[in-house]
Amino acid sequence: MKHFLIRFATPIVLIALWQLFADAFGSPRIPRPSAVLASAMKLIGSGDLVTALVTSLGRVFSGFMLACAIAIPLGILMGSVRTVERNLDPLVESFRPVAAIAILPLVILWLGTGSMAAIVIVAYAAFFPILINTIAGVKRIDNNLMRAAYTMGVPPATRMWVVLLPAALPAILVGMRIGLGMAWTAIIAAELAVGAKAGGEGGIGQMMFIFYAYSVELNGIVVCMIAVGIVALVLDRILRAALHAAVPWSRL
Amino acid sequence: MVQRIAGMMASFSGVLMGNSTAPRHWPAWTIYLRTMGLFCLLWYAMSWLTPNKILLPSPLDVASALRDRIDDGELVANATVSLTRLLVSVSIASLIAIPLGLAMGTSRLLEDLLEWPVELLRPIAGIAWIPLALFMFGIGNGLPIFIMIYTAFFPLLLGTAAGVRNVDRRLISAARTMGIPKGTLMRHVIFPAALPSIMTSARLAVAASWTAVVAAELVGAPSGLGYAIEYYRSMLDTPSVMAFIIVIGTLGFLCDAALRSLSAALMPWANAEEKR
Repeated sequence: MKHFLIRFATPIVLIALWQLFADAFGSPRIPRPSAVLASAMKLIGSGDLVTALVTSLGRVFSGFMLACAIAIPLGILMGSVRTVERNLDPLVESFRPVAAIAILPLVILWLGTGSMAAIVIVAYAAFFPILINTIAGVKRIDNNLMRAAYTMGVPPATRMWVVLLPAALPAILVGMRIGLGMAWTAIIAAELAVGAKAGGEGGIGQMMFIFYAYSVELNGIVVCMIAVGIVALVLDRILRAALHAAVPWSRL
Repeated sequence: MVQRIAGMMASFSGVLMGNSTAPRHWPAWTIYLRTMGLFCLLWYAMSWLTPNKILLPSPLDVASALRDRIDDGELVANATVSLTRLLVSVSIASLIAIPLGLAMGTSRLLEDLLEWPVELLRPIAGIAWIPLALFMFGIGNGLPIFIMIYTAFFPLLLGTAAGVRNVDRRLISAARTMGIPKGTLMRHVIFPAALPSIMTSARLAVAASWTAVVAAELVGAPSGLGYAIEYYRSMLDTPSVMAFIIVIGTLGFLCDAALRSLSAALMPWANAEEKR
């Protein structure tokens, strides 16, 4: 009980201190909890915040699905066939250190500043964590499982669905969880960087940029930041729940 | 000629498929060269087919742009700026996060105090701080360094705290039984035992802040590799953009390799865990 009280109290104390200091010393421009709350009410009421979040989330999901659709089969192939892994590994290791944000200028050049570019950035950001965890998961499968299935004459396709995939699933889901987190970060960076150039269809990142560059609304920026954090938390919790539901035997 | 090219293509596709014409065990670097060579060939062919060279310059153009940028000193200057920012901000982040993490791992009170603020702030990506940080610091060194410290802070703090919490209790009890004072216990028992976890989180922190520096410089710094990419994009100098992307990737890889060998040197006993 005592622990819970301390945990619960610290954020409240910190927020109260923030409000006090901003009232006492800050200029009226400085964001403060009360103004942030008012701004949040306004943004939620007008539906702007929800629209922006839905736009961003839609891009994240499309890009994330694209990444999964390529990375998971490729990862299974690379994890199970040694030659494929050896030959593709240099490519993977060469591109992995290149952050998604670094290729943003190229993607803008190729695809413009619309949703397509954002989806590609997201897919690139999510691709490598999913791929690498899938490879690791497939390689870590107990060989005896595969041999037993082989001995019992299970056909290859069935072996894949019934033995390989369930055994590698925990690792794949971990990769998806990391990948989704990176995808969400990447979309914000992409929308922020594109912000000034894109039209009106930007998501939460562009909304922040507009608050920064045009209307100089610091409270609005803080509202967006909090929204970004909440979405990140919710996405992470959803995938963690999926992990527990799919593989109740592995507590990761 | 056509036949020769067809033959070459066939043998290359054979190489790609890992045909048995190749010796069974090639050394790793030859495989690396083979794959990357094939990739460059494919890239060359695609750029040859692309009418607009601004969209997809050939690898040779990129190589010469890389040489030009080295010759005019821009590459070294911008890379130095970005690497210095990385070094400064990761050092500052570790100076705060590691002691705090050690304290958080050993003191229940501190953990209670910090847990919620950390859990509430952590999901807000460093990149989402950029607009607010632009107000706080303006365009310049402050913004990227702030974003990078923030990005590096959480992995380091949580990794250190988790490392301390996972230290074998028997080690601590044994040290206590032998009457070792608290400071010595921390320095000679808890810290070394938590070091593998700290180094792993340091690698995560460096990778994350290297990503963040590119984003921060892209939006709000008049120097650095991220700025250079954006500058050459606006000049439509795609070969230079690609050259800088290659440099960013290479430096990111080298930083990680340096940290890996540092952790191997610092704690040879943990090597077994590092190897997958």
